[in-house]
Amino acid sequence: MFTELNSILNASPDTITQGEFILISDRKSDASFLIHHFLTFYLKARCRVCFLGLVQSFNHYHAVSQRLGVSLLQAKEKGQLVFLEGLSESLSVLSPRETNTGSHLGRGGEAMDFLRDPAIGLKSLYEFVRSSLSSSDGAEEWGPPVLLVDDLSVLLSLGVSVGAVLDFSHYCRVTVCSQLKGNVAMLARCDGEEEEDDGDDEGSERLLKGLTHQCSLTLHVQGLPTGYCRDIHGQVEVCWRRRRQCEGKYTQKKLFQYKVHDKGASFFAPGTSSAVL
Amino acid sequence: MLTELLQGADAGGFVIIQDSIRCSGRHLLKSFINAALHREEAVHVLGFEVDEEELKDGVKGSAIDRVHFHNAYTDPLGWTDHPAFTVHQFCLEELTHLVKQSSHSRPATLVIDSLSWILRHRSPTAVCKTLHQLRKGGAVRAIIALLHADMHQKGTEGSVCHLATSVITIAPGMNGDQAVAKITKRSKSGKVMQDEEIFNINEDFTVIVQSKLGPKNTPTEEKEVDPTANLTFNLRLSDTERKAKEKLALPFVFSKEKKTALLHSGPGSGRILYEPDSNDDYDQEDPDDDLDV
Repeated sequence: MFTELNSILNASPDTITQGEFILISDRKSDASFLIHHFLTFYLKARCRVCFLGLVQSFNHYHAVSQRLGVSLLQAKEKGQLVFLEGLSESLSVLSPRETNTGSHLGRGGEAMDFLRDPAIGLKSLYEFVRSSLSSSDGAEEWGPPVLLVDDLSVLLSLGVSVGAVLDFSHYCRVTVCSQLKGNVAMLARCDGEEEEDDGDDEGSERLLKGLTHQCSLTLHVQGLPTGYCRDIHGQVEVCWRRRRQCEGKYTQKKLFQYKVHDKGASFFAPGTSSAVL
Repeated sequence: MLTELLQGADAGGFVIIQDSIRCSGRHLLKSFINAALHREEAVHVLGFEVDEEELKDGVKGSAIDRVHFHNAYTDPLGWTDHPAFTVHQFCLEELTHLVKQSSHSRPATLVIDSLSWILRHRSPTAVCKTLHQLRKGGAVRAIIALLHADMHQKGTEGSVCHLATSVITIAPGMNGDQAVAKITKRSKSGKVMQDEEIFNINEDFTVIVQSKLGPKNTPTEEKEVDPTANLTFNLRLSDTERKAKEKLALPFVFSKEKKTALLHSGPGSGRILYEPDSNDDYDQEDPDDDLDV
């Protein structure tokens, strides 16, 4: 976890706000370092985590988390982490001869059912999430449940419609945030420029807009508008929405620049990079 | 105009609050709910997007009993065994039944949060038909709906807004507290009025209209700035000076007197005698001949 990001978000492993739906998004950039932050953060906060790793292998996340001080293997063995390795589970869907050893609940193959027929939607994936987080064995020792998804945009490339993904995120929010009082963090990626007049029905832009309406906190990662810089890897715009106490402010936004290191990332106000000062 | 809409004078009204990701319209929706509760009406909320706790956050006191929250948030698609209210139940019969069940003699206001959710799962024609029937049906006195303008195609958004008597489009204002509302109101006589107002919402969800920007099509009148004011020297003319200025003949503007004086030389001035010789090109049809100079 990145300590500077914790202070920006007013969060620490000891006191976490519950019921948050966090949307991590990027445009022509790579925001997956934030997923690693949230994964290690919630594991350190002793929460029960269900992680849908659809784009990378388990070893990849394990290697990065070790550098951040958390062992995913141990967490998985202790029952704190439920990991759906999308890449290997999808093999078991496509070639049924392979034995399904991915998820300890034995239902990983069913969760990826949408690969056979994307039109059926993500109901079985949602059922997987619900059963992983609401099962009561060993639930007393862990904190509130957390769902992390990396990432949602790959579902669009696999043929799932934008509406189905938005329904899935809605149901996850209902179960995890409202009923179980946990948190959800999802990553959604965009390739193109932001179009003001979005005429197309499907696409990552519409998904991003729909998710933004649903969420309570967004972290949007972009490259620097002025171009490539060796010392500053990009900017993050943090936007708080839908806060409980209506202080009259609709949304609160803050902009930071960041640099990713070997063992973390540092965040600073624009123009205050250590390379510049 | 925003305050009039909040006071909800006309029955059969259908108000749409259009928002976008830049500025959420849910606070204004809650203001409408609060205003309806002040008028002692029963409010039925079809909640698809936020849960009951979040929507009722801010409604205080006994008025909370008059808010009937129909939970379409927990299971809108019927994925569990016992859905409370699904999106497929959005039709005239079900909604009339729902409203008549809870409110007995009071006029009911139906609040839909949000219409975008329904439009994602039902065809726009079915939704428009249901809304139209609801308005004519008489079971509800007024309908207020939240619509996310950036989630739909222009055609869908246009069709739904066409049904509405008033459309309020919200955009972020200059500072974080304020928002700008563009209001289009269609009265029963067919007259369309447009207005643009800056407003902010207090903690108790009352709306304060800061200023009216006015409809954009009237030209903004700017006071002409007098350039001769506030100078250390005098650029103005008195009356005699102005008369003398107008009498002055400018040097290169030819009046009739001046022309005749120049062309017909007076006595004593020289005369020019011109005899063209063989080298001169004396063209009878000289195009410059008819110049009156």
